[in-house]
Amino acid sequence: MDLEKLYAARLHAAQTRPYLAAALFALHVVESPSTPTMAVDRHWRCYVSPAFVDRRTVADLAGVWVHEVSHLLRDHPGRGDAYATEHGVDGPGERLRMNIAADAEINDDVYDAVLPMPADAVRPQTLGLEPGEVMEYYLRRFRLGGRTQPFAWLDCGSGADGHARAWELGPGGARGLTKEERDAIRFRVARGIAGAPGDAPSGWQRWAERVFHPPQPWRELLGNAVRSAASAAGAGDDYTYQRPGRRSSSVPGVVLPALRRRPPSVCVVVDTSGSVSDGELGSALLEVTAIGRALGGRRDLVTVMSCDAAVATVGRLCQAADIPLAGGGGTDMREGFAAALKRRPDVIVMLTDGQTPWPSARPAARTVIGLFPRRSEKWVATPPWARVVRIG
Amino acid sequence: MRNGNQLDTAADLLALLGDTATEERRDAQLDALALAVAADLPVLLWGEPGIGKTAGLTQLAADLDLPLTTVIASVHEPSDFAGLPVVGDDPAVNGVPMAPPDWAVRLCAAGKGLLFLDELSTAPPAVQAALLRLVLERRVGALTLPPGVRIVAAANPRGSAADGWELSPPLANRFVHLQWTHDTGVVVRGLGGVWPRAVLPRLDRARLPEAVTYARRAVQTFLTARPGLVHRMPGAEQARGGAWPSPRSWDMALRLVAFATAAGTSREVLSMLVRGTVGDGPGLELLASLDRLDLPDPETLLADPDNAPLPERGDLRQAVLDGVIAAVRDRPERERWDAAWTLLARAVETGPPDLVVVPATTLAALRREEWDVPALIDRLAGTVALSRRAVAA
Repeated sequence: MDLEKLYAARLHAAQTRPYLAAALFALHVVESPSTPTMAVDRHWRCYVSPAFVDRRTVADLAGVWVHEVSHLLRDHPGRGDAYATEHGVDGPGERLRMNIAADAEINDDVYDAVLPMPADAVRPQTLGLEPGEVMEYYLRRFRLGGRTQPFAWLDCGSGADGHARAWELGPGGARGLTKEERDAIRFRVARGIAGAPGDAPSGWQRWAERVFHPPQPWRELLGNAVRSAASAAGAGDDYTYQRPGRRSSSVPGVVLPALRRRPPSVCVVVDTSGSVSDGELGSALLEVTAIGRALGGRRDLVTVMSCDAAVATVGRLCQAADIPLAGGGGTDMREGFAAALKRRPDVIVMLTDGQTPWPSARPAARTVIGLFPRRSEKWVATPPWARVVRIG
Repeated sequence: MRNGNQLDTAADLLALLGDTATEERRDAQLDALALAVAADLPVLLWGEPGIGKTAGLTQLAADLDLPLTTVIASVHEPSDFAGLPVVGDDPAVNGVPMAPPDWAVRLCAAGKGLLFLDELSTAPPAVQAALLRLVLERRVGALTLPPGVRIVAAANPRGSAADGWELSPPLANRFVHLQWTHDTGVVVRGLGGVWPRAVLPRLDRARLPEAVTYARRAVQTFLTARPGLVHRMPGAEQARGGAWPSPRSWDMALRLVAFATAAGTSREVLSMLVRGTVGDGPGLELLASLDRLDLPDPETLLADPDNAPLPERGDLRQAVLDGVIAAVRDRPERERWDAAWTLLARAVETGPPDLVVVPATTLAALRREEWDVPALIDRLAGTVALSRRAVAA
């Protein structure tokens, strides 16, 4: 095999993509005539077909190096396995689909003027899909068929889809990296990109931000915030001295507390100033009221009111579909707080885009703010006494 | 009579079902738990119900030769942990003693034991408050648990807990948080009749002083380089209720690094422990810093360039060579410059040549006029050709 050509290509790749150099050098080369082209396994070994090296130019090979290492950095084997488990589908066809979707995710960031994209590379556009998305998104949106026919030969190894190949060395083979070593390399690359954000394309910057802090779904975060606000001391099940416990009869003269249930009352204030889209608002509102009902058990304890510059409507919750929302125009959520506090709730949930003045003092109820993003602006300042969940 | 026969047959069937084999297996999360318990730090296990937390603790208790006491928090009242008031003759003069429950008295009498507080998250808030006092201050009523008693608590993750229970940051900072997950392969194999028997880490008495030195140097080196991580309160909604870095948790992390080193456990175990103590980000950064700490020292390499070991892994080897070149640049002398060339030549002969190109170019630029080019530069000729091909591309 022309090792010199292969290593010259890796050097070229490391020089044009300095932020990936550590990961590129960590790959261990294995000569493998039975590999179709070049492939990686999940233990960071790179299998190379000698015939493939002879056929391609150094610049082409450099692009392939970056392509293969991208699969590993973005944990495509782990994500492929997770997708297979979650959807209960597995098999050669499904793994080929994963490889195609994985290629569609990374190819946008791999190639540029210096490392030209080969004509046969998978692009989201060739699948009829929009660019800039992730593997899981693509997997839900295409099937094997006419469009994917040209990619039937595609094989980036188990490093791209998690399925072990016959020509791979497997977990016991020589020079494989352990999970900890793999994580350490990914972490180092991510830190390098985050530390010098000008050097890497935006796709890699997004990856670096999220790789060790995956964004949790906002539904879960909002649910946690509301539940923990509603079940903190003073609401929900807890011990109280308002009534003596039944055990008190065994220790005469001592007052023991009894377990009492005080269902929390939740007041939801919705910003209807027009900058929040109906779809997002509806789903957030459904989420909060469902939690409120599950906790309180009584529907009269969940109140929903809409607010713009003044409080327009107050509705008791009967059915989620019935909540009347009126408004449009400017916002002043201080009005919403004042109106909500009149009802003495345990928890106030505020759904807003944050373009509003806030009360200067902490209100007398635990507050959760569900914050919707604004297209034009960055996230806005929120008061320190509230728990803030960013939605979307 | 007929019913009796049926019961006997059922007992035989049950005996057959219970007849399972065991095999030795290293379990990283159990290793981590064993080390944290050995280091006498309060542990909080986060895991879904029914995935073998209790089974793991039973194995641990048997291995440490400690009697296991399980207390299920959700069926107790706060006074069970704060002490039950016993009214004497004249409470106003004598006071009301808070009597401890029987299990606490038994633990005290035994002087040692493993106390497992299960289902911390499903207990009402007042019970949790009383329990946390038990975990952190080791007091039950008027009784103080002896030092030989080790305490482990378990809770459901807040996503699956019905009431969204979570720890406040000061409490979360006092625990080693361990995520408890199940391995599908192990469960399937166990249901097939072969359950794993954990082999727990052993502390090596000979390595104790070395472990303390290593742990101190590791944490000190890291925090000198990243002073911002000494104390950082969790800000984001995601990080609530988890581990975060503070002087207290760094002290715990140091202790855990020393224990893991003395036991010679894998990086995976250490990673679980450190990430569970100071949080994911700072934990990973500490581990990355440990990797660099384990690399050979440039001065050692320059002192003995013909025999000093070079790491096998490409990225580590590149980091070492960069370090050597930097050392030569800091103190440019003829012998050091020659020694660096010897190292580069060895690197080319024993591994991929592409990662030697940049160090070789930098080293060549450090040459002084009176220094002769060493003869062994011929051994690096291949890298020059390789570098030309890369530039031509």
